[in-house]
Amino acid sequence: MSLLEVRALTAGYGPVEVLHGIDLDVDEGEMVVILGANGAGKTTTMRAVSGMIGRSGAVNFGGVDITRTNAEKLVGMGIAHVPQGRGTFPDLTVIDNLRVGAYARSSDHKSDIDRWFDVFPRLAERRDQRAGSLSGGEQQMLAIARALMSHPKLLLCDEPSLGLAPLITQEVFEVLKKLNVEEGLSVLLVEQNANLALKVAQRVYLLETGTVVASGTAAQIASDDAIRKAYLGA
Amino acid sequence: MERFFQYFFDGLSLGSIYALLALGLVVVFRGTGHLNFAQGEMAMICTFVVWQFNDWGVPLVLSIILGMIVGFALGAGVETTIIRGVAKKSQAGVFVVSIALFLGLNSLAAMIWGSLPPEQLPGLFPDEPDDFQRIFGAVWRYEYIGVLAVALVLMGLLFLLFAKTKFGLAMRAVASNPESARLAGIPTGIVLASSWGIAGAMGALSGTLWGGIVGELNAGLMFTVFIYASAAATLGGFDSPGGAVIAGLTIGVGEQFLAGYFPGWIGQEMKLSAALLTIFVVLLIKPSGLFGSTKVERV
Repeated sequence: MSLLEVRALTAGYGPVEVLHGIDLDVDEGEMVVILGANGAGKTTTMRAVSGMIGRSGAVNFGGVDITRTNAEKLVGMGIAHVPQGRGTFPDLTVIDNLRVGAYARSSDHKSDIDRWFDVFPRLAERRDQRAGSLSGGEQQMLAIARALMSHPKLLLCDEPSLGLAPLITQEVFEVLKKLNVEEGLSVLLVEQNANLALKVAQRVYLLETGTVVASGTAAQIASDDAIRKAYLGA
Repeated sequence: MERFFQYFFDGLSLGSIYALLALGLVVVFRGTGHLNFAQGEMAMICTFVVWQFNDWGVPLVLSIILGMIVGFALGAGVETTIIRGVAKKSQAGVFVVSIALFLGLNSLAAMIWGSLPPEQLPGLFPDEPDDFQRIFGAVWRYEYIGVLAVALVLMGLLFLLFAKTKFGLAMRAVASNPESARLAGIPTGIVLASSWGIAGAMGALSGTLWGGIVGELNAGLMFTVFIYASAAATLGGFDSPGGAVIAGLTIGVGEQFLAGYFPGWIGQEMKLSAALLTIFVVLLIKPSGLFGSTKVERV
C-alpha cells in the first residue's frame, strides 16, 4: 500500500477547475517528482494534497482518508508542506521559525533545532536574524528545516530551486536526497529543473493542463525521446 | 519647571490609556490586517458592563476582570461571526462593517444605559483631594500613578505573551505568514479570534481606567480616546506593539504640553485636531509609522 494515494483528484480556485482528475502515489521511502510546464497544475496539486484549497476525489495517507481533513491537522498526521517561494516567516527569527515548525508537537524540540543547525550551519550563524533578511538559498533551507521540525513521514516540497543559484540549488537537493536515502523520508517534489529532479527522484509524473500525461520511473522518463524534447530541452 | 513635570506626568498617565487601546488596534491589525473602527465602542460597552457588575454589588476589581472577559468574548465573537465571513469576500467590506459596529454598539449602549442618570464609575484608586505625592514640585495623584502602573503592567504581560509563550509565537507566525502558519499546524482561526479577544479585553481595561478618570459614563466615553489611540497606532506603526506604546505615551504627553503651554490657541478644544493632524502628517511623510514595517500598505 502506498503512503500517499491520490485518486481522481479535482481541485481549483472558485469556479475555475485546474486539476481534472489526477491519480498519484508516493510509496514509503520514495522520492517522487511532478514535472510540467508553467500552469500545468503542479502547485495546485500540492495545495490540494495538503488541504490548502478545496478538493474532491480521494486522498489517502497511510491508509487514512484525509480528503476532508483540514490543512492544520495534516502536519500532526505526518505531512509537511513547503510552499512555493514563501515557506518561512519573514518577521520571525531563524530559531523562532524552527520553533513554529515544531508547533504541532508537544515533545521537546531543542535537540531537533540543534540537529538542523548541524545540517545547515549557515542557519546556526544567523539564528537570531529575521528570516526575511536571509538570502534566497538560506530561506529555502530554513523553510525545509522548519517543515522537518514536525517529523513528517511525507515532505511536500514545491519548487525548492525557484530563484536560487545553481550551486545553492544543488546543495538543497543534496540535503533532500540524503534525507530520503538515509532516513527513509518520503518526498513529493515539484520542480521546473527537470534534469536535476530526474537525478534525485525515483519516479516521475508528468502534468499537462491539469492531467497526468505520463508517469514512470525516472530512468524511463529520462530515456523517452518525445518527453525529453518536450520537457527536458534536450 | 513645575508645570513641565506636571504636564509630563499627567500626559504619561493619560497616554498609557491611549497606548492600551492603540495596542488593541495593533494586535488586531497584525493578526488580520484590519483597522477595527469599533475598538473604542467595544471598550465603552465593556466599561458599562464593569459599571453594571459593580452596581450589582460585585467588588470593583472583580467587575473589571469580568468586564475584560466580556471584552475578550465580544472581540472573539465579532471576529468569528462577522469579520471573518466578510473579509473572505471583500477587504473594503470589513471597513464598512466595523463602522456599522461602531454605530450599532454606540446606540446599544445608549439604549441600555442611556435613560439612567449619568453613572459614576468609582475610580480604582484613592481619589480624595489630598491623595497625591509631590515629586519635582508636580502633583502626582494616586489615581494617575495607579492608572500608569496598571497599564504598564498589562502591557508588560502582553509583551511576555508575545515573546515567551507558544501562543505568542503562533500569533506572530500567523501575522507573518498565515499560509505557512496553517501548514505548520497552527489553528489560525483560533489565533485570529484570540487576537480580537485580547484587543477587546485591553479595550475593556482602557475604558475602565478612562471612565475612572472622567467619572461619568456615557456612550461617547471612548470617542476621544479612540482618536488618540488611532493617532498613536499610526505614529508608532500599525504592526508594531512597541511603537504603539511609545507613541501612545508620546501623544499623551504632547497633548498635555500643547494644551498647557498654548491654552489660548490650542487649549482643550483643539487638542483633538492636533491628534488628527498627527495622523495626517505621519501618513504623508512615513506611512508605515516610526517603528512599523512597510506592510501597512495592506490596508
